[in-house]
Amino acid sequence: MLSYVIRRILATIPVMLIVALFVFSLLYLAPGDPAAVIAGDQASVADIARIRASLGLDRPFLVRFGSWLWHVLHGDLGTSIFTNLPVTHMIAQSIQPTFSLMVLTLILSVVVGVPLGVIAAARQGSWIDRSVMLMAVFGFSTPVFVIGYLLAYLFGLELNWLPVQGFTPITQGFWPFLRSLILPSVALGMIYIALIARITRATMLEVLSQDYVRTARAKGVGERSILLLHALKNAAVPVVTVIGLGVGLLIGGAVVTETVFAIPGLGRLTTDAILRRDYPVIQGVVLLFSLTYVLVNLIVDLLYTVFDPRIRY
Amino acid sequence: MSTTYEAAPELPEVLAEPRKRGRIATFIRRHPTIVAGGGLLTIMILVALLAPWLGTVDPTAIKPWMRTRPPSAEHWFGTDMLGRDIYSRTIYGARVSLIVGFAVALLSSVAGTALGLVSGFVRWLDTPIMRVMDGLMAIPGILLAIALMALTQGSVTNVVAAITVTQIPQVARLIRGVVLSLREQPYVEAAIASGTRTPMIIWRHILPNTLAALSVQATYICAAAMITEAILSFIGAGTPPTIPSWGNIMAEGRSLWQVKPFIVFFPAAFLSVTVLAVNLLGDGLRDALDPRMAKRL
Repeated sequence: MLSYVIRRILATIPVMLIVALFVFSLLYLAPGDPAAVIAGDQASVADIARIRASLGLDRPFLVRFGSWLWHVLHGDLGTSIFTNLPVTHMIAQSIQPTFSLMVLTLILSVVVGVPLGVIAAARQGSWIDRSVMLMAVFGFSTPVFVIGYLLAYLFGLELNWLPVQGFTPITQGFWPFLRSLILPSVALGMIYIALIARITRATMLEVLSQDYVRTARAKGVGERSILLLHALKNAAVPVVTVIGLGVGLLIGGAVVTETVFAIPGLGRLTTDAILRRDYPVIQGVVLLFSLTYVLVNLIVDLLYTVFDPRIRY
Repeated sequence: MSTTYEAAPELPEVLAEPRKRGRIATFIRRHPTIVAGGGLLTIMILVALLAPWLGTVDPTAIKPWMRTRPPSAEHWFGTDMLGRDIYSRTIYGARVSLIVGFAVALLSSVAGTALGLVSGFVRWLDTPIMRVMDGLMAIPGILLAIALMALTQGSVTNVVAAITVTQIPQVARLIRGVVLSLREQPYVEAAIASGTRTPMIIWRHILPNTLAALSVQATYICAAAMITEAILSFIGAGTPPTIPSWGNIMAEGRSLWQVKPFIVFFPAAFLSVTVLAVNLLGDGLRDALDPRMAKRL
């Protein structure tokens, strides 16, 4: 078991290396010459060459990649071209809203998606099943910003129940904080709920057709405990896998949701960075999100053994 | 000695005459989602193709004296902040969405299939290809597309290329999986044993068997690509503002949406319906072509 955990952790290193290589190439290939920008209008070709040498821009690709990676591993993601602030500082400033939004969405999606899937499977073919599946297709097809605008219009502008835009930090009280995140997390969670409900239903149907479920029914176990104890527990592995894979969707969706609801998080940081072509910031955010994604899926892999003791490595 | 054979007597009709039903009616009954999705998608394609004849005006024509007018008889969907007709922009926007969706689905299927085949047949290339694919998959798709778009100028071609890159790894993985399981099949072993050359085996025995899974995957990729294009344009990293695309119209309406929600509403509705159509088609195809996968999902 321990050796599996170590092997699995080591296996993420090459993946992260490839991600790092890609993210570095982004800056390497980015149009524009930083040396020429620093040198200014009056600079001669020799001046630019001197600055380029002092920045290390004349060194070969792999050498530059190595030194960049060394800095990244020491927590130095470079300096923003636009604000001149360290990228790590800018990320730290905007991580709280994004992190809160993603955690809340994750909780909401699991709390809504799993029961929907279980009910649909338990009543297979009924109108409940059909409407859950229909909702899942709609949830899948409606882009996150469309749901976002609809919700904000309905509950924010028309009914005036919840704030339309903006984010309240948790330091200003838990309730205002939660209120500011309800609409964004429902909008962001829709596609995720659809995904989780669908996979839960499918695995539950498979498990419910197994022999041991029939045995449990035959010996008179109640339907509720069959569903929750016998079936759901054994359906956990695929459901947890999808939750892990869905984090990728969640990250992409967060960028858009923050734009719709004017939340000053990492998504906004990314969109602003794109409009300003602030490559170090784009690099930093992509690297951070990819690391999160890889780590979440690592945890999911390790959780398999908890949910299914038959899995031994 | 000669023997004469009598013709066998006519067998009595024991089976009841099957209920006659038109082929089309049977198809609709069996695959309602394919019909619904395909029908909606056909309408959208027609709208995109016939855009100039659907009562539209020049989608880029500016009328500064007619800014942000609500929907009326003259401007069915209203006008935007430059006085451009939103109905015309939305109708022409269907072209961008559909082109991006179909192009990405086609290109990523071709590239992913090629990589998957190489990975499945050439042992020493398998590990490096799949590691690179794992690395690409570790970057959330939209972020990868955003990062690629940051490198280039906004154009439809670049948007297609950026989204294609994010979708290739999934196709490559799918095809590699199919290849690895097919290679163990007796008929493929027999083909190898009888000296059939590898390209022929791929063409005759492997590719036809990937088509079902591939076409289902391609429809989902098409839907995902349309959403991604809209997201890219919405946050300002997609098609240039001069081209009317649904994402662009919504991006332009973003700052005004609390007072003029109709600017965002119409392109949003068109986008949702089109993506829904493609997803329905994908679900239907999956049920029809790949019963095993249908059972799983």
